[in-house]
Amino acid sequence: MNRCTRLSERMPEVARHRATWAPDEAAHLAECADCRGEWELTLLARRLEAHAPTITEPSKLVTTLHQRLAEDRMARQRARRAWSFAGAAAVAAAILVAVTFDRPAEPTPATRPIAGAEALVPLPELEGLGAAQLDTLLRSIDRPSTGSSGLDASTLGEHEDGELEQLLATWEG
Amino acid sequence: MSASPVLETPSDHALAAAYRAGDERAAAELVRRHAPAVGRFLYSSGAGRDEIEDLVQEALFRAFRRLDGWRGEASFRSWLFVIASNVLRDEYRRRKGRRMLSLEDRDLPDRADPHADLAAREAEERLRRGLATLPRLQREVFLLRTQQGSDYREIAAALGTTPGAARVHYHHAVKRLKELVR
Repeated sequence: MNRCTRLSERMPEVARHRATWAPDEAAHLAECADCRGEWELTLLARRLEAHAPTITEPSKLVTTLHQRLAEDRMARQRARRAWSFAGAAAVAAAILVAVTFDRPAEPTPATRPIAGAEALVPLPELEGLGAAQLDTLLRSIDRPSTGSSGLDASTLGEHEDGELEQLLATWEG
Repeated sequence: MSASPVLETPSDHALAAAYRAGDERAAAELVRRHAPAVGRFLYSSGAGRDEIEDLVQEALFRAFRRLDGWRGEASFRSWLFVIASNVLRDEYRRRKGRRMLSLEDRDLPDRADPHADLAAREAEERLRRGLATLPRLQREVFLLRTQQGSDYREIAAALGTTPGAARVHYHHAVKRLKELVR
């Protein structure tokens, strides 16, 4: 460590009056412009600190600090609760989705009437039919159903109980 | 004759531990101990005179909010300075790059040699302006070294660098400030 470095190391201590320059150090400072410049800068920084504005009311700072920290703690607790709730809701939603989509498909009841859209699903037994046979089949499907029963649904109320029983018996075979 | 008990001043570590355990008076003592130094550090770093209390308040708030972040490698004060420096940087960004440095309108000196005093104050102001133009690490190392008397190991711990790097930053700062203050 050369003399300039050694002086540089000691400058903060001497500037804070915790040490003094030895005679040889003082002599070096007098002749070395680099060290003198650094020393003057150190003293200037100390003076700048000494002339800086002071905190006039630390107690006011403390009061405000406690208020802010208390508000912050409450806000963080609220946020934690909100996240817990959101997490629980997400888990519940995930379980619901899993249960809904993992359920096995219900068997189609044999007696269920075929809806219009489902009737369009190609059936293997239709493959062997000719165009004329298919036309006949289509006409039979398109024929109004009320016509086949020989009874208009809007006039059901006008029939006697006996007639209705007879009608039901014909439908059910 | 029994010796009277010596009342020891609690260390910053002890006060921080007490605050973590719920003792708010410990925080008050830490504020009383360090807030003025944080204010002087901010002023030296370029903060305006009328903004210092707010900046110190914000720095203390951030510090106590994450007191667990202080592990004691650096002193509590050095750690506070780094937080204060972050606050200053954030404020600088918030103002979209406008410098905080304000022209000082100090009272005229009333000492025996008003001209010498005025020249000294002008030199201080040049230093303050020069510090504000330095890269952050250079400024922090310089202030921790010259104003707090911290050694390079302590500075390195506070700034998350090595003592060798801190020494280099200091010498760069000195070189630049010599040119600016001249």
